[in-house]
Amino acid sequence: MLEASVLERFAIAIASTLLALLIGSVIVTATGYDAVTFVSALVYGAVGSSSNVAFTLRQSTMLILTGVAVAVAFRAGVFNIGVQGQFVVGGFATAVTILFLAPVLPGGAVGGVVLMVLGTIAAIVAGGAYAALPGLMKAYAGANEVITTIMLNFIASGVVYFLIDAYLSPEGTSAPNTESFPESVALPGIVFNSGSFSVIGLGVALLAAVVVFVFLNRTSFGYDLVTSGHQESAAAYSGVDADRMIVSTMTISGMVAGLAGAVFAIMILGYYSDPATFPTFGFDAIAVSLLAANNPLAVVPAALLFGGLDAGGQYIGFTLNVPAELVDGVVGLIVLFVAAPELFRMSAKRLGLGGDAE
Amino acid sequence: MSVADYAAENRLTVSGALVVLLVVAVGVALDLPGSRLLTVGMIQRSFQAAMPIALAAIGGLYAEKSGVFNIGLEGFMIFGALTAAAAAWLISGDAPISQMDLWLAILVAVLFTAVLTVAFAVLTIRYKADQIVAGLAVWFIGLGFGPFGATVLWGGVSSPTLKNVNNVVIPGLVELPVVGRLLFDASPLVMLTVVLTVLAWIVLYRTRYGYWIQAAGENPEALDTAGVNVNRVRYATVIFSGAMAGLAGAVLSVGLSSGFTGTGVTMVNGRGWIAIVAYLFGNYNPIGTFFASLLFGAMDMLQIQLQTIGIALPGSITGLFPYLAVLVVLTLFGYTRVPAAVGEPYETEEE
Repeated sequence: MLEASVLERFAIAIASTLLALLIGSVIVTATGYDAVTFVSALVYGAVGSSSNVAFTLRQSTMLILTGVAVAVAFRAGVFNIGVQGQFVVGGFATAVTILFLAPVLPGGAVGGVVLMVLGTIAAIVAGGAYAALPGLMKAYAGANEVITTIMLNFIASGVVYFLIDAYLSPEGTSAPNTESFPESVALPGIVFNSGSFSVIGLGVALLAAVVVFVFLNRTSFGYDLVTSGHQESAAAYSGVDADRMIVSTMTISGMVAGLAGAVFAIMILGYYSDPATFPTFGFDAIAVSLLAANNPLAVVPAALLFGGLDAGGQYIGFTLNVPAELVDGVVGLIVLFVAAPELFRMSAKRLGLGGDAE
Repeated sequence: MSVADYAAENRLTVSGALVVLLVVAVGVALDLPGSRLLTVGMIQRSFQAAMPIALAAIGGLYAEKSGVFNIGLEGFMIFGALTAAAAAWLISGDAPISQMDLWLAILVAVLFTAVLTVAFAVLTIRYKADQIVAGLAVWFIGLGFGPFGATVLWGGVSSPTLKNVNNVVIPGLVELPVVGRLLFDASPLVMLTVVLTVLAWIVLYRTRYGYWIQAAGENPEALDTAGVNVNRVRYATVIFSGAMAGLAGAVLSVGLSSGFTGTGVTMVNGRGWIAIVAYLFGNYNPIGTFFASLLFGAMDMLQIQLQTIGIALPGSITGLFPYLAVLVVLTLFGYTRVPAAVGEPYETEEE
């Protein structure tokens, strides 16, 4: 999709989403629900009330961060399917840092800010290190990163669950949860009166998108990263070590995924828990990044769309008894259609629309 | 045999030996009683655990041999698992589920998954969709619609407890030591898997069609010149790979378990991904792939065996053995010589 024009990408993104929603509606009808009610409830759940908007933005914040993490790797020609695992490991590093340092540091607002900053740094380091593993395995052993990163997702979930269950859950509780963070560790809601969404979190996500965009497009290191992924020989002639670039790409991608974990632990949870129960932001992020043609800035509107779908999906799950998993399936369909731009080019040609695009 | 082929074969042997040595070394380091670990029951369970992996892997290797990387195996397995459970439940109606119902359900699952795969094949072959992204999409679609379908049918993401396929016990012969229980008190699905493995080997390496499949992945232009429709061969292998993944999923839900589990990453739980590693490790040879699957099956069962002999490793850690094994295999074995034309859509001159 690199060669497609911006307008064409935009059209393909819209067409993919509409087609996937259409199929979703057909399935809703076929399973005995009313499609019109379904779509209107989906929209109401996304933007219908102030708390729904806050929920949409909360999901979008997570999808911007994880989407940017995926986009960095894809732009450099590496498939990082392990964002979910890096996100889990990052959030765990945040939780461990905050819980272990909280008794040592003075309480109050200053202590809280220090804890959040240190926790976030720990997440970025841990996420980057965890992503460097499949990078090293790909660069120096030729191991397919699609498969290694997926295996590392399973391993991250299993190990983090084990550590929390065995060492970090307080005595006498059966749930695999850590203790709650101190009260000073929290982001103020500011505009929205929501316990799990803060404009600061959204700001961090937007900032990350801009920083990564500038890094990829305005720095020579970022330029090397992208060229070595797509024109390996050209990059090699200009003295770029492709193997090191793969490791760097994965590390940077994992750092952003780790940051997502920190925001999830601090802004949304306020403690840490069994990763198997977490939302699959790292997977939905793949859809977000693809829809955005792997452009970190375009990730923002794509993440808003998916955040809305997610919020709407949960709403229909509660109110209409239409299973919320339907929306996950629709997201999968969007990915499928985005993968096949040729489908839309050919149909557009047949319909006599933009036939000169070829 | 060319030098390159010989090196590839050797790498397989060497890394296979290394994996076995590593397992033994870990065993010695942890001071495990080997004789109590390697029991007939353990071997039997390993074969069972290997079935879904081997079936999906053989399908996947056919598709990749012909030039299409079907990375959606995991997703197709989810559809197969759900469809088989749903079909068994619907076919039996109010009556208890009979063995016949289960076999019918497996057939329905294979056919249904094959039909779904047609859409994947059309998108990747005709519309040149990115094979990796489209395959991932299949996984996401399965992760969404699998539990969705279960909720529509049963009101929850998992099915109620159904029935599973009985073992075939041959009286008399089953009394033989060791082989008796392995061969004559076994799931018929294990036999089916072995037969399909051998058939897949024969077709791939001993028939004209097998050569077409290999040519479609290695040198599609030559095959085209010889007058064979490359894309028709690819359609056939991709649809076959989906059908095999559907069978693998059905084996999981009504062969080994009694129903469909849709929580977390569903009951397929990464086996489709492990299948891809199994055929890479087996160097695209169905028989090698079967043994690689057996290795992963054994890893999977090791946790039960460790528990039964009272070695206290937490289940959440022993459950990770297969995934760790995949990482070790991929890192040691790493580079495989994939068919030359994998991932590239083929366009004939006339079109």
